[in-house]
Amino acid sequence: MSSKPKRGDVLDPKLAVEIRQATIGYSSKEPLLSSINIQFFKGEIVAIAGPSGIGKTTLLRTIAGLVPPLDGNFFIDGKENKPSRGELGYIPQRLGLVRHASVYHNVLLGALAGHTSPWFPYSSAAKKIALEAISSVGLDDKIRTPIRRLSGGQQRRVATARTLAQRPSIILADEFLGELDDETMNLVMEKVTSYVRESNATLIVVEHDISRAKEMADRILIMEDGRLNPFVNEPISIELDKEFEKEVNN
Amino acid sequence: MKSRYLSSAEETSDVQETILSSIWFSSRWFVLIGCLVFLSVVVTNSMVDNWGRLANGSDNLFAFINESLWPPDWSVTEPQAYPVCTEPEWRDFTCSTAWIGVIETLKIAFVATIFGMIISLPISLLAARNLNPWWVSFPARFILAASRSLPSIIWAIFFVILVGLGPLSGILAMTVYTVGYLGKLQYEAIEGVSRPPLEASEAMGHGWLERSFGMIIPESANGLISQLIFMFEYNFRHGTVIGIVGAGGIGYYINLYLKFLQYDKVIAYLLIIFIVVLLLDLVSIAARSFFTEDGDVTRPPSSWWGIFLPSAMIDLLKPK
Repeated sequence: MSSKPKRGDVLDPKLAVEIRQATIGYSSKEPLLSSINIQFFKGEIVAIAGPSGIGKTTLLRTIAGLVPPLDGNFFIDGKENKPSRGELGYIPQRLGLVRHASVYHNVLLGALAGHTSPWFPYSSAAKKIALEAISSVGLDDKIRTPIRRLSGGQQRRVATARTLAQRPSIILADEFLGELDDETMNLVMEKVTSYVRESNATLIVVEHDISRAKEMADRILIMEDGRLNPFVNEPISIELDKEFEKEVNN
Repeated sequence: MKSRYLSSAEETSDVQETILSSIWFSSRWFVLIGCLVFLSVVVTNSMVDNWGRLANGSDNLFAFINESLWPPDWSVTEPQAYPVCTEPEWRDFTCSTAWIGVIETLKIAFVATIFGMIISLPISLLAARNLNPWWVSFPARFILAASRSLPSIIWAIFFVILVGLGPLSGILAMTVYTVGYLGKLQYEAIEGVSRPPLEASEAMGHGWLERSFGMIIPESANGLISQLIFMFEYNFRHGTVIGIVGAGGIGYYINLYLKFLQYDKVIAYLLIIFIVVLLLDLVSIAARSFFTEDGDVTRPPSSWWGIFLPSAMIDLLKPK
């Protein structure tokens, strides 16, 4: 277990996210995870799996700075603050798209976060990047279509394009491949993983489907009995409990 | 399984408890509504000294309708005697008091709604608690509450004193009231926006401007447009009231005929107001259909019944 950071601590430059002795949840009386230590490295894809309601999404939201940790320290790219603008891309389970706005508008929001300042959120370069991202997920013909008129698969492609247009160094994705047909799933997975490899970014993905997690991730973290037990943090290809895998897949 | 470990007495009490809780669960809303109705009746009874007055109410109403209100006197749609109408005959109705009053009220309502919206939208963005800390949202709410606390007729009296009789005082009164009323509706719509887009925006590091104008306003556009048109309609209806205190519009003529007890002319004006309100509702349906989910509200002319009926009932009436 890592100790609490001290003044002058040097963090590993390969680290994208480091969590030290953190307690996570919404109430200190009933934390979802207690005293966890995890490290996520640049250029790796990590899948987090486990039964429903155990705290996977809360962990992701805590890394994203949306839920304050009850205790402990979170370091994003060596800094113990909220991630800076555009550094972190987040694809929530419900995608977080603006349903009444067009595909272009949604993807542009990602591009603006990654390539402009908050006080002057305008750039012709960001517009070009947004159009390229839309094209990369094959939605050129839907640029002006409102999100509410798209299918579930197309909406997931928009959420992916928004994150790709942002070009973040860390991507947090919550079940972002859920309920996709094989073709769309392969397209989305390929786009995101190739971005991670090319940009030396980090992808942390919550994934229910263990076989899909194995296919995509460099390592898988299993959360079991998260309410009481310490977080399981095994390096590279852990052996999965067959019964648990069966339970999760069912 | 459970009964294996329970004595028969315990089992019976367990069953009784389950039945009682299920009865309570299914009937709790009826009990709550019944209590509220009972409370209302008790409070009303404490304020009304003689319920017998109600007995004569219907007779008085019928007498009033037959003798004074009906039929409406549509001469209000004819050109006024003075000033002399110079319009061609086919549009001489534009010289009538009804037309002049309605158009003036519409103009006052339109301008006041637009000015009110321009002022209220930034304040409501500041008042929304999901966008700002309490020390920003509370002062903004205070401003909105202050302008809403007086009814528009009081604001009209205030502005008539300040700037004199006429439409200008009407516009100012309605604008101030619109800021408070529309602002409250707007920040409630903004606070009702679902969390995922806001969280995605926050995680991406968007600033307040991007989050407000890039996420919040497009996401709550349906509510904002609907409220804006509702406010226009509301201002039109209230234009009749503030006209009574000299702030211009159709209310001026209604007040005039009320003074002379010409109720048949008053009812003609009220019917014209009703028709204009229905037309504004059609515009509202058309505008909102651009921001709603498919099948929620469709565009006219197929759904003009939507003015009177909820969408679920329209579906039942549609031919299969």
